[in-house]
Amino acid sequence: MANKLLLSVSAKQISAARWQGNCFTTCRIFANNDSGLSAFRQYLAPISNHTVYVMVDAVGEDYRLELLPSSFGSDRTEMIGRKLKQHYRNNTYCGAWLQERDSGKRRDGRYLFCALTTPDLIEPWVQVILERKLPIAGVYLLPTIGQTLIEKLQLDQPNLLVVSLHSSGMRLTYFRNQKLRVSRLAQLDSSGQPGIKNLAEEISNTRLYLHGLRVLTLDERLTVLVIDREDALHALVQTVAHDNPNIECRRLGRAEIIERLGISTNALTSSVDALYLHLLGLHALANNLAPASVTAGYRQHRAQRAVYALAGATALGAIAWCTINILQIIYVHGKTEADARDTTRQEAQYQEITRQFPVAPAAAEDLKHAVEIAQKIGGTTRTPETMMNIVSQALELNPAIVLKTFGWKYDTTDIVGAAEGPNSPSVDKSSPSSPLAAVRHQSGLIQGEVQPFRGDYRAAIETINRFVEALSQQPEVAAVKIIRLPLNINPDLSLSGTTQNSGDGEQAGKAEFRLLVMLKQTI
Amino acid sequence: MNTVVDLEALKKPLLMLLAVIMIGSGTIYFTRHLLQEAAHAFDQQHQQLQAAHTRMQKSGEVKATILHYIDSYRYLQQLGFVGDEQRIDWIDGLRNTSQQMQLFGIKYQISAQQPYPYASELDPGQLALYQSVMKISLGLLHEGDLLEFLSALAKKNAGVFSVNQCLVTRADTGGSIRYQPNLNAECDLSWITVKPAAETKS
Repeated sequence: MANKLLLSVSAKQISAARWQGNCFTTCRIFANNDSGLSAFRQYLAPISNHTVYVMVDAVGEDYRLELLPSSFGSDRTEMIGRKLKQHYRNNTYCGAWLQERDSGKRRDGRYLFCALTTPDLIEPWVQVILERKLPIAGVYLLPTIGQTLIEKLQLDQPNLLVVSLHSSGMRLTYFRNQKLRVSRLAQLDSSGQPGIKNLAEEISNTRLYLHGLRVLTLDERLTVLVIDREDALHALVQTVAHDNPNIECRRLGRAEIIERLGISTNALTSSVDALYLHLLGLHALANNLAPASVTAGYRQHRAQRAVYALAGATALGAIAWCTINILQIIYVHGKTEADARDTTRQEAQYQEITRQFPVAPAAAEDLKHAVEIAQKIGGTTRTPETMMNIVSQALELNPAIVLKTFGWKYDTTDIVGAAEGPNSPSVDKSSPSSPLAAVRHQSGLIQGEVQPFRGDYRAAIETINRFVEALSQQPEVAAVKIIRLPLNINPDLSLSGTTQNSGDGEQAGKAEFRLLVMLKQTI
Repeated sequence: MNTVVDLEALKKPLLMLLAVIMIGSGTIYFTRHLLQEAAHAFDQQHQQLQAAHTRMQKSGEVKATILHYIDSYRYLQQLGFVGDEQRIDWIDGLRNTSQQMQLFGIKYQISAQQPYPYASELDPGQLALYQSVMKISLGLLHEGDLLEFLSALAKKNAGVFSVNQCLVTRADTGGSIRYQPNLNAECDLSWITVKPAAETKS
């Protein structure tokens, strides 16, 4: 959310700045007393959809640097929690963050523990904000925001003391290797403008304080950066440089602040804490001191925003998908219409061409097919002539054979089934054993008898076999099958007859037989 | 903050997310469906275009085909092979052949028209083939008359037929040698006709 409400709370006053877009628009100052609190409550009344960031500038603060073993996840959380309890047992506004890792093999983490030891300073203000149901993103100590300042100014001095004047006094924050180490707030005489000499003394005292903390030796070179938002501290820079040859003193004047930090002139003059409020608005910091109960509304707010963002992303995705689909539909429609136009044009041209064609009773393909079919039928038509010739030749070689019935068929099935009477031996009509089954072929049925027949079945059967042999030797014949012999010697059937001769010397009965002749498929 | 409060606070955004998902997926489905329809229409139109293009390319070939086959086709029409079957022509053909060969008369029986069972062997394309099976029964002096009869019938141009089967049996003449049939023949003939697709549909 771009809308932020930035608060700077000090023992003297509260600065409240509205942040919209990328800069703050208005800034109001409230006295840190009951009337100020009441005014602040009224100030908040019309405000909604703002996330509150609270910056505290108080004397009651604590910084501890500790080297802790490398750890991650829940182990790290537990370890830090134990340390926070150990250092700040009864303090709700405390926190720790990893500044850097040790370069050794253990990769120990260098953690800065800090706490607001006077939470009473902000509690009433926080309560007013929570009553208004505005989400509090975090409560930060003012020196931690100085980290953003040196990052924006790209300062790389190993020992840097940032000096700035605020409503509560003179803030001196020491950074070692661009990392916050310690900060102190020197309260100044509130009766009038602080003297340059006093300010210079505070800087010297801070140097001694750092030496006392064993953070910085007196031999080490220190860079002092004076934030001079009113261009009134030229003399301080000169004095510090004169009194402390081992100190490099630089001043960040009003114009440079505006140019390098992007704050507007009006915003800068609106409050003594304006610059740090601006820096607080620029970057959301990780080093929040507020307990979970204070930031619960913010977490809820963030969850809502995340779900809204997800809904928005989903909607955008759906819109993009639909847009792609619609564009594709338009493209495909265009191609379809182009094809339709081409088809119409081609058909018109074809119609024009066909007008020059001779008048035909049917389509060209039908003409062709009809003629070809007629030719094919003519080519595939068969007559009994071939079969008759084959039988005639066999009969000439076997004069004892008398033909009684001749059948012929051109089909996928043999003629036998059709010609057999109900008393005929069982012969499968479809002839599955026939090699020519399912293919159209010529088959013939020969029904005849052996004459003369004097009861000698052996001789009659031999005659029939010779006839069959004569048929089989014809090159057109694929197979000859004996369907019935004069005497059925099948052991599965009964057999009866007589051996008595008739008066003219011939035995009663006939030597009848039936044959199936199948021609090759190519015939 | 307890979980109930959390869920209550998230109710509105979650409902909005749900609505967005439903509306979004519905819209996507709808546009996808429209796209598929459009693609289908395009495929059909493109096929029509390709068919028209092919027709155009083959127009010369079509003209040549018509010129090449039209006379034969008209002959087949006259023959009764193309179009409706001409049963009167078949019967006239039988009668004329019988008179010409001085046969002893021909009995015939024509069954109902049915699809020709061996059409697939002939690659008929869009044409439909039909057959009407005619059973004929005739008396013969000798077996050579049967072959001569079939040959003569084919030359009558009464239609296109194929012989399916014949059965020739010796007639009981009682030993007499007067002018009478010595053999009886029964044959099945398939009279085949084709119909163009348009006529078949009608």
